[in-house]
Amino acid sequence: MRKTFPLLLTVLVLAATTPCRAQDAPASIDLSKFPAAEVEDIVVPVPSEVFLVLDKLGTPNWRAEVRKSLGKNTGNRPQVALLLGTVIAEGFIAVEAEDAEKVKEIGREVLALAGVINVRKAVIARSKSITEKAEAKNWKAVRVEFDGALQDVRGAMEELGDYDLAQLVSMGGWIRGTEVLTSIVSKNYSQDGAELLHQPELLDYFTRKLDAIKNTRLGKDELVVRIRKMLAAIKPLIGKEDGSKISIDQVKKINAMTSETVGAITSKGA
Amino acid sequence: MNEFVKKSLSTLLAVLAIAIVPAHAMVDDALSFAHEAAQPYVKKGFTVREDAWGGDLGVKDQQAVTAQLFKGNEYWFCLGTDVRNAVITVHIYDAQGKLVETESWQKGRFAGARVTPTKTGTYYAIITVEKSPEERTGWAVVYAYK
Repeated sequence: MRKTFPLLLTVLVLAATTPCRAQDAPASIDLSKFPAAEVEDIVVPVPSEVFLVLDKLGTPNWRAEVRKSLGKNTGNRPQVALLLGTVIAEGFIAVEAEDAEKVKEIGREVLALAGVINVRKAVIARSKSITEKAEAKNWKAVRVEFDGALQDVRGAMEELGDYDLAQLVSMGGWIRGTEVLTSIVSKNYSQDGAELLHQPELLDYFTRKLDAIKNTRLGKDELVVRIRKMLAAIKPLIGKEDGSKISIDQVKKINAMTSETVGAITSKGA
Repeated sequence: MNEFVKKSLSTLLAVLAIAIVPAHAMVDDALSFAHEAAQPYVKKGFTVREDAWGGDLGVKDQQAVTAQLFKGNEYWFCLGTDVRNAVITVHIYDAQGKLVETESWQKGRFAGARVTPTKTGTYYAIITVEKSPEERTGWAVVYAYK
């Protein structure tokens, strides 16, 4: 009894504190049987999800990827939304480069651009936190703050009814992140690195969002039209199936397209 | 506006507020539990995304959430519900509908599944409410990567 009681107690404590293995899941399912209403939209990955893999594949020169100029704000709302996305993406690049001054500059610019589209209040705390964490060189925490800034900006824009503009922020971030991904993979090509471009559902998601823009003026905006064309041109280059080989030529083509689009967003405006 | 219309409008607004607020609160609470489920992985170096999925489901109902995952990373999908005594699960499938998780667990109002993608591409987290004392069960999923 003396021996069995502690044993029983141990078993009971373990049972109470150890998570159970989940109920057996079927080894395969028919995804086509899920009605559209029961499939939630994709969450747009932040650049650091891709950058982390690039770090594992080699030693990218992140400092060489950081842009000196963060771009011009023209006051045109679609351009500002896209620019804000590229600036937040730049924040992730500056974190990889461990460039505290650049990170702080980006934190301030996020706040300024958010002001132009009336969502400054939503990112004041984030901007302050980005500065503090960059000064402490707590890079992991800075990444979390940039991710949070992106969600806060989008959330505040959606609260104002600016759903379409909120999507443009995500797209701007994705385009700049993809420009950097393709730049790094072009310089040191590997099949695993190129495979990171295989994002078919994400491209379809962005295309659906652009096609669903109800505001005619926004739908015909020069940058929006340009991005729609760019997405259609990128689609055949990212591999049809999971694991498809993406050649260095394909990577370079995507780099050229995303670089031109980032250039249009950051310098020319709409 | 006469007094009767004002009163009727106030009552209607109050009813609407009662009807709407719990739905948001349900997902917000579920999100807190999803973040709680992810905490052990933060200690293991995972970064939890700020973006999340959420909603509510009936018993035995399922919802698929779409995720872009990258080969080279490791992911934890963490699920939470605000309904005490509900049993919810999350499992990860690839675009062909093949179960790809390397580990999964379920405990009370929490569940989790880990995946280390062998290919970069689209994946689906399937959420199921196995049991619940409520007609609708609020749920939220966050994912963490490293």
